[in-house]
Amino acid sequence: MTNPSGIPAQAHGVIALTASACTSCMICVRECPAWCIELESHDEEVTEPGARRPRTVSVLDTFTIDFGLCMYCGICVDVCPFDALEWHSEFDYAAGSPGGLIQGINELESWQSKP
Amino acid sequence: MNPSPPGYQPASPRTYVVAADPSLRVQILDIGLACCSLEVGSAITTGLLVDSATVQSPGHGATILLISGTVTDALAPAVLRAWEQLPEPKAAVSFGACANTGGPYWDAPSVTKGVDQLVPVSVYIPGCPPRPEALIAGLRQLRDEIPVN
Repeated sequence: MTNPSGIPAQAHGVIALTASACTSCMICVRECPAWCIELESHDEEVTEPGARRPRTVSVLDTFTIDFGLCMYCGICVDVCPFDALEWHSEFDYAAGSPGGLIQGINELESWQSKP
Repeated sequence: MNPSPPGYQPASPRTYVVAADPSLRVQILDIGLACCSLEVGSAITTGLLVDSATVQSPGHGATILLISGTVTDALAPAVLRAWEQLPEPKAAVSFGACANTGGPYWDAPSVTKGVDQLVPVSVYIPGCPPRPEALIAGLRQLRDEIPVN
C-alpha cells in the first residue's frame, strides 16, 4: 500500500489523532520515550436513568505532540488501547520555529482527512 | 565553550539543484553527525537533489548550512565555526529531531538541545529521521521565507 506520492501508507511521517476515541487514559503520555505527548482532561459526571450512582467519564481538553522531540518510534500508536493514534505518511510540515512543530488536537486530527 | 577541535576544517559547500524544481539551486554544506545524514545522502543518490555540474539551471542560490544529526556540546564549536565561515547570503536548516531539539537525547548531558542555540535556524524539518522528500519540502519552504534565489 502506497499513497499517491509512492510512499508507504504506514510510513512514520506524522501521527494522527482521533480525539473522539481518546479516553485520556495517559498510557501514550507515560510510555513515550521522548516525553513529547501532553494531554489535559477533566472529569464529568454522567447520570443514567435507573443507575445506582452517576458514572464519571474523562473528557479530553488538550492533546499535543511535539514533533520537534518525537522520535517516531510508534510506541504511542502501539499502546493506545482505543486506536486513537495512527500513522500517516505526510512529511511536509517543516516549521520556521521549534514551537511550530507542536501540534494540538485540531492539527493532529486534520491528518486523518489527508490522502 | 570549548575551542574548536585542533586542525578542524569544515568541508566546502556543494551546489545542488532540486530535481522537481530546477529553479531552486542551493549550495549545501551538510554537517552529517548521525543517521539523519544517510537520508540527506539518499536525497542525492535517488536523484531528488542533482549535482549542479550535471544540470543547467539559472540563478545563484544561497548557501545553506544543513545540520543533520546529533550535535554534542563537544562538537558545537565546530558547527559554529562552519556557520561563521560560510559566505553570505546564508541560511541554516535543522534536519531531524536531534538538531531540532535534542530529540531522543533530550535528557543527555552531553547533547546540545537544539542547534538554534548556536546558529539562527530558518527551517526546522521534523522526523527521526525525516524522509529525503522532507528535505526537499524544507528547502522549498526556505525559499518561501527568505530570498535564497
